[in-house]
This record gives sequence, C-alpha cells and structure tokens, in this order.
Amino acid sequence: MSLIETKNLWKTYEMGAEQVHALRGVTITIEKGEYVAIMGPSGSGKSTLMNLIGCLDTPSQGEYWLNSRKVSQMNDDELANIRNREIGFVFQTFNLLPRATALHNVELPLIYNGTSAQDRHAKAMRALEKVDLGDRVTHKPSELSGGQRQRVAMARALVNDPSLLLADEPTGNLDSKTSVEIMKLLDELHRQGNTIIIVTHEKDIAQHAHRVLSILDGEIAEDTTIPQEQRNGVH
Amino acid sequence: MVTGSLFGIAFDALRTNRLRSGLTLLGVIIGVTSVMTIISALEGLTGSIEREIEQMGPSTFMIGTLLTAMSEQEALDKFKRKPLDYEAVQIIEDGCEVCDKVAPRAARGEDLKYRDQSMYDIVVVGATYHHVEIYDLEVDQGRFHSYEDDLYRRRVAFIGAGVYEKLYEGLDPLGKDIWVGNQKYTVIGVAKKKGSVFGASQDEFVYVPFDSFRRQFGISRRGLYISVKARSVDQLQEAMDEVRVLLRSQRHVPFDQPDDFDMLTAESLLTMLNSLTKILRFGLVGISSISLVVGGIVVMNIMMVSVTERTREIGIRKSVGAKRRHILTQFLFEAVILTLSGGIVGIVAGFLIASALVGMLNVQMNPSALAITAGLTVSTGTGLVFGIYPALKAARLDPIKALSYE
Ligand SMILES: Nc1ncnc2c1ncn2[C@@H]1O[C@H](COP(=O)(O)OP(=O)(O)OP(=O)(O)O)[C@@H](O)[C@H]1O
Ligand SMILES: [Mg+2]
Repeated sequence: MSLIETKNLWKTYEMGAEQVHALRGVTITIEKGEYVAIMGPSGSGKSTLMNLIGCLDTPSQGEYWLNSRKVSQMNDDELANIRNREIGFVFQTFNLLPRATALHNVELPLIYNGTSAQDRHAKAMRALEKVDLGDRVTHKPSELSGGQRQRVAMARALVNDPSLLLADEPTGNLDSKTSVEIMKLLDELHRQGNTIIIVTHEKDIAQHAHRVLSILDGEIAEDTTIPQEQRNGVH
Repeated sequence: MVTGSLFGIAFDALRTNRLRSGLTLLGVIIGVTSVMTIISALEGLTGSIEREIEQMGPSTFMIGTLLTAMSEQEALDKFKRKPLDYEAVQIIEDGCEVCDKVAPRAARGEDLKYRDQSMYDIVVVGATYHHVEIYDLEVDQGRFHSYEDDLYRRRVAFIGAGVYEKLYEGLDPLGKDIWVGNQKYTVIGVAKKKGSVFGASQDEFVYVPFDSFRRQFGISRRGLYISVKARSVDQLQEAMDEVRVLLRSQRHVPFDQPDDFDMLTAESLLTMLNSLTKILRFGLVGISSISLVVGGIVVMNIMMVSVTERTREIGIRKSVGAKRRHILTQFLFEAVILTLSGGIVGIVAGFLIASALVGMLNVQMNPSALAITAGLTVSTGTGLVFGIYPALKAARLDPIKALSYE
C-alpha cells in the first residue's frame, strides 16, 4: 500500500446558515519517497488538505490511510500520536515557542513521547546540526533571522524521524535568497529519503518537486509529473 | 517521565510571569493565613484550658449550683437555686463511703494591701487543706495551709505569683503581712506562676483557710463549691451517685424532680470544651474559607487569561503531538504550583501571626501538624478545583484553530 491514500475527502465548514466546501472529494495517492508540490490560488483548499494529511484536522467525509492505517476515524489521542511520530509539519509562520531556545523548541515533540532528557538533548542537537544551526542552539526565535527560524522549525519537524515532512508555504515569509536556502535543505532531505509535500504559490518553488498537484475550488484539477530536466535544484 | 517535563514547563511559565503570579496569590495567601492562624489559636487556647481542667484530676468531681449553662435562661434559672451550704460538706464527708476527700470552696473579690502597695478586686478563695491534694496547685515558696491552720482558723494566706510580684517585689514574702479586705493575714506560701489565658492573668489570687474565710465573710449568697475526690477513678461514678442521693435528701428534692445542683467531672468539662471549640472551628474556618474561594476565583480568572494568551502555544504543542491530558496536566500543574506556593507563604505568615499573638495575648499557640496539613491540603485543593476548568478549556482546544489564533 502507498504511504498516503485518500478517498473522496470532503471538508465542509458551517458558516452560519452557509456551508463552505473547502475540499470537494479529493482522491490522491502519494508513495513513499515522493516530492510533491501542491499549488493553487488563494482559498482553493491547499492548507485544508495539508492539515488533513498532517492529521491536524479530520475530514467531514471520506477516508484517509497513512502508512496503511485508517486515520480518518481516529480519536484525538491517536491523532496526536500520529502527529508526534509520523509527521513533521513546517508552517509559513514558523510556529516556534517565542520564549524557548532553539534547542528547547526542537526537543518539544520528544517531550510528548517520553524520551529521556538525555536522549532529547542528543537528538535535538543532531537535528539542529542537520539544518546547520549547531552554533545557535541557545538562541531564542527573536534572536534568529527568518531563515534560521524556519530551519529551527524544520529541525523540530525532523527530530522524531517522521515518515512524512509537510511544509505549508515554508518560504512564504522569507525573501528569495533565504527561500533558496530553505529549498536547498528540503531537496537535500528528499535526497536522503524523506517523503516531502510542500504547498506553494510560486512556480519556482514548485519546480523543486517531482510532481505537482493543482487544486482549484477544493478539487484536484491537475496531477503532473515534472520531467527531470525542468526541475529546479540538484536531484 | 512526561509528567516531570510538564511540571518543568508549568514552572517555567509561572517564573516568566513572576509579578502576575505573585499578585494572583494574594487571595490564596490571605485565605491560608487566616485558616492557619485560627486553627493554631484554637488549638493553643483549648490546650491551655485543657491543662487548666486537667489540674482537677480524673477521679475528682465538682458540685455547685451553677457550673454549666447552655443558655441564658438556664443560667438565670440556676442562679435562683438554693446555695450549697456548709452542712452539705459535712453530710458528704459523713455519708459518702467511696469519697476520699471533700473540699469546700468559697470565693469573693476583695482588695489586698501590703504597706503602700494595693491590689483591687482580687479573687480570695476560702479552701480547706485538702485543696492542694485534689487540685494540682504547685507551690513555689513556703507551703499551702495545713490541717492545723484550718482547725484553728489561722489567718494565713497562700498567694498567687501575680500577687507576690505586685505587693512584695524584691522582698521575701514569707511571714509578711497582707491585708485581705479589713483583716490582716500572714503570707505562708506562694504558688508557681501559671501565665495568662487571653490576657487574663491566672496568678492573681489568694487562698485562705476555709473557716477563716467563713469567719471573716460568712458564706455568700452564691454559696459553696464542693470538690470531691473519689477513692479511685473506677469509683468516680459510684461516688457521684452517693453524693447525688445525699444532696437530694438534704435539699429535699422530690423524687420526680431533677437535681437542683450541678456535678461536673474533668472529663465532662473536656467534652463540653471540645464541642464548643468544634463549633468555633467550623464557624471560623468556614468564614476564612470565603477568602480562599475568592482567591480560587482569582486563580481561575488568571488561568483563563493565561490559556487565552497562550492559545498559540497550545496549538504548537498539539501540532507536535501533545495529547489532551498533557495540556491538561501542564495547566493544572500551573494552578497547583500557584496555590501551593501561596499556601506555603500563608502557612509561614500564619505561623508568624500566631507567634506574634503569643506575645500579645499570652495565649499558648500551637502551629500544629494539623494546621500545616490543613493549609497544604486546602491550597492544593483550591488549585485543583479552580484550575480544572481553565485546564480543560486549554486541553480541548482544536489544534488548527489554536494555531491560527491571533
Ligand atoms: N475555519 C474555517 N472556517 C470557515 N471557513 C474556512 C476555515 N478554514 C478555511 N476556510 C475556507 O476554506 C477555504 C480553503 O481555505 P484554505 O486555507 O485551505 O485555502 P488555501 O488554499 O490554503 O489559501 P491560501 O493560499 O490563501 O493559504 C477558504 O475559502 C477558506 O475561507
Ligand atoms: Mg493556506
């Protein structure tokens, strides 16, 4: 079975009397080791889909299997477990704890699965070194640049060795030079065998991926594979 | 493992908000302080009264016309009773088989004088030499009066430490004169100092032989108190029964009427004292727990604010895998650390106030284990009770909504 399989996913928000269909029957399959970009206009449902895939939210209808486990019917605690062990999530706004050091931020997922303080420290250090921030571990987010913050967030996403790395517009708040750095890092992580899904508005960024899913009004409009020669970055 | 980390997280959160945490605590501190002070004061007070009562000894009982009254009406009714007279003492002495000692006692207020030193309205007690054998009245200097003093109605006086300090400061009191009312007595002994209960000195009294008292003052309208010591603790009840029969016949009480005198043992006094302080304790602790409830509500309020302020933090924690119970525990820890530290401050403050009261009121204070346990339990409980709602609210937040909270 594939890493991700969704079948006819719907997400509907009740806005008073009105219903907003953020997703209208999304059926996709993503294999282990893929590098996928999700594109689409603002409000088309990209984030909604990412949140479902990342188990931060549950679909109104439809089914979702992650690693052969049916996630769409899991309860809160089971979802928390999946988020903790299977998924690394990188957000546009970084979502770091502002008062905690980079190291503590990266340790955070490990706190909730009972990793010992010693192991926590070692794993977080390794993850921070992986994103080239070994010399900034005691800095707080406010003492780091935007790119560095996003790299801390990536270290946090990676620290538990997840099966899936999700990034919702990871370069959305960064300038183009810093964006290139972050994309390089993602490319490298993909090369090391991670499965990556990234949401973006920018064609440049999307072209780092091997496959682009285009969303329009909550439906998958296009599913294209990017030929090797058109890809950005080193693969 | 996880719990330990959550405790650390809660602790850090409070530390970064020190001033607010401190202010939040005021209510809890005041509440615990008052609970502490009240319990300590009550324990101290009952402790000193208990010691006083225990001087009576377990095989002794007291007879009087007005020893207890549960209401004003009862007191007024008893006040009208025929007083106990000296004949009653003799009837008990002659008729009670299992009575070991019978000690009559009469008392009144009189002025005392030695040279140019005076004291006014001091309790003068007429008592027989048995008195020291029944009550545990400790002699510091000289002696209590003897059988002969009683027999020959000698004008000798045994004085309290307070009287000694006022009238004979720096002198050897033994053999000195003392004017009791309009009669001159000779001091033969001084009692050991007892201190005071609630500001009232326990050391201002004069004992004179019973018959000397009778000769000087007669027997007052209030009559006598009679203390009776049974031969043994086991025979206490029997002695009381015998005395009851003797007194009822002396006082011509019809068989279908209740006693027209009171009898009290040390034990029944202690029982009365206990029921009294129990009411007091519940009442006062009840009142002071109002401030704890107020303190608890303040804690709840500040925890609600904290949860709202930290919605994003909660979202972040949930997005990396924190479960409901992790968030719940974290915020409960915060509430309990808050109230518990307030409780500890309150206990220390209560202890200090209690010790200060010792100086002011001369009450023996007991900051006992009971008070400390009560303080700790109550403050932890306050944290749990008032922290649970904000913590539940935090735990139930939806991760997506929490993450997008501005
Ligand atoms: N909590 C919500 N309540 C109601 N409607 C919502 C909610 N979240 C999203 N929506 C709606 O669902 C649709 C999809 O939103 P989504 O955030 O997935 O868009 P997006 O593709 O990520 O857009 P963007 O590129 O601007 O981030 C939008 O119309 C949005 O208004
Ligand atoms: Mg979006």
